[in-house]
Amino acid sequence: MLFRLQKPVLQSLPLKSMTLRATPAALVLLAVTLMVLHRADTLPVERLRMVVTDAAAPVLANVSAPFSAFVDSLEGVTTIRDLKAENIRLMEENVRLQQWYESALKLKAENQSFRELLNVKADPTLMFVTSRVVSDAGGVFVKSVLLPVGVQDKVRKGNAVMSGHGLIGRVTEAGQNSSRVLLVTDLNSRIPVIVQNTRIKAILAGKNQNLMKLERLPPDSGMTIGTRIITSGDGGQLLPDLPIGTIVSIGSDGVWVKPLSDIDRLTYVQIVDADANQTLATGEIVPHSPIQSKNRR
Amino acid sequence: MTSVWNESLLGAIGRWGLMLLAVFVLFILSAFPFEIAYLGEVRPFFMLMAVYYWTIMRPSLLPPLATFIIGIILDLLFNWPLGMNAIVLVMAQALTLRQRKFLLSQLFLVIWAGFAFIALGAGAAQWALFSLFNLTLISVKPMLVSSVLSALLFPLMVLPLAMLHKALAARPPSASS
Repeated sequence: MLFRLQKPVLQSLPLKSMTLRATPAALVLLAVTLMVLHRADTLPVERLRMVVTDAAAPVLANVSAPFSAFVDSLEGVTTIRDLKAENIRLMEENVRLQQWYESALKLKAENQSFRELLNVKADPTLMFVTSRVVSDAGGVFVKSVLLPVGVQDKVRKGNAVMSGHGLIGRVTEAGQNSSRVLLVTDLNSRIPVIVQNTRIKAILAGKNQNLMKLERLPPDSGMTIGTRIITSGDGGQLLPDLPIGTIVSIGSDGVWVKPLSDIDRLTYVQIVDADANQTLATGEIVPHSPIQSKNRR
Repeated sequence: MTSVWNESLLGAIGRWGLMLLAVFVLFILSAFPFEIAYLGEVRPFFMLMAVYYWTIMRPSLLPPLATFIIGIILDLLFNWPLGMNAIVLVMAQALTLRQRKFLLSQLFLVIWAGFAFIALGAGAAQWALFSLFNLTLISVKPMLVSSVLSALLFPLMVLPLAMLHKALAARPPSASS
């Protein structure tokens, strides 16, 4: 009895059933047209999306907090048995990090004195905005996340987004109180990068997988596994020298890079922007799209 | 004293509210990823469950235009090609509507199997559309996993709804005032 769905009352008039059958076809046609127009970039999809996202972000932000707390608690239960091993690993790591900390302090002092000797022009000061990730709505096809911060919080289109160790993406849309971050692993993500040891330039392309692929590499570029990949800042979109990942595999199918951050489990991220007056600091004029300049007043 | 008119109005409002609530809950669920070890991130088609369920139960509550608009909003929110969710949802609804009379008289198991069929079709359609939109062949696996998971989760999502719906429809007038 319980497994039989209840039979509702419906008198289907001939006219009604006709309209019911006719509209889906028209709507599918409309949807296909929308897709083609979207593909051809003739629709203001980005602006529409910002309106929807701006409306949904506060709701999602409120709902996601208990939801992610629930998911976290589930994860907590599953990891309790790994706690001991994790603790040992962390203690070992702590010892190693303390050694690194000492050498970092030493290098910092050394660097400072060299800078003073050479009279180096100061780097642009960076601005940070930290935000919680409210949802990563894209899912299987699109690797993107929503943040409940926007133009009001001085987030701009094109800003780099970091999490913990490395770059995770960049802001592709900034609304009033929400913004969308295209992750570095997305199919449409292309980031100009430098291979750290060799200073070889390449493009890091997302493949909708956990790993990213290095493209436009010069032949015989002599890569080694474990080499770090950092942003080059070419094109003026992203800041230079932000770490992204390390090379994990070199084969006939190309050079593959693993992101430094755990991109599947983002909770808090930092939006990084150069100081407002970038032109002064770098001596370069950064190109802006019309929407971006509108957002900046 | 509750008149018949009053009772049916209350019932209608209740059903509408229930449907909106269900749509909202499934909508929120759609926006969160589910991590499964060794399978990676998958996304069950929660919205498809709602559309399938309400199309069988009360097609008048969810007209194709409403489905289309929900699809477009999902596309905008998910950063998907505009119209992709809309195509899949509207087509799934039209297909379900055609088989509605048959499905209504069947056991839940058959309705479940019907959903599994629709979910696989939706997964395949989304994969094809997305590959076409980006002009690259993308991996089939996440889509396949999402379809199978959607089929497995269907009774879990729908049974409480069915019971609620039944309770609401069978509620005596005195209990509602």
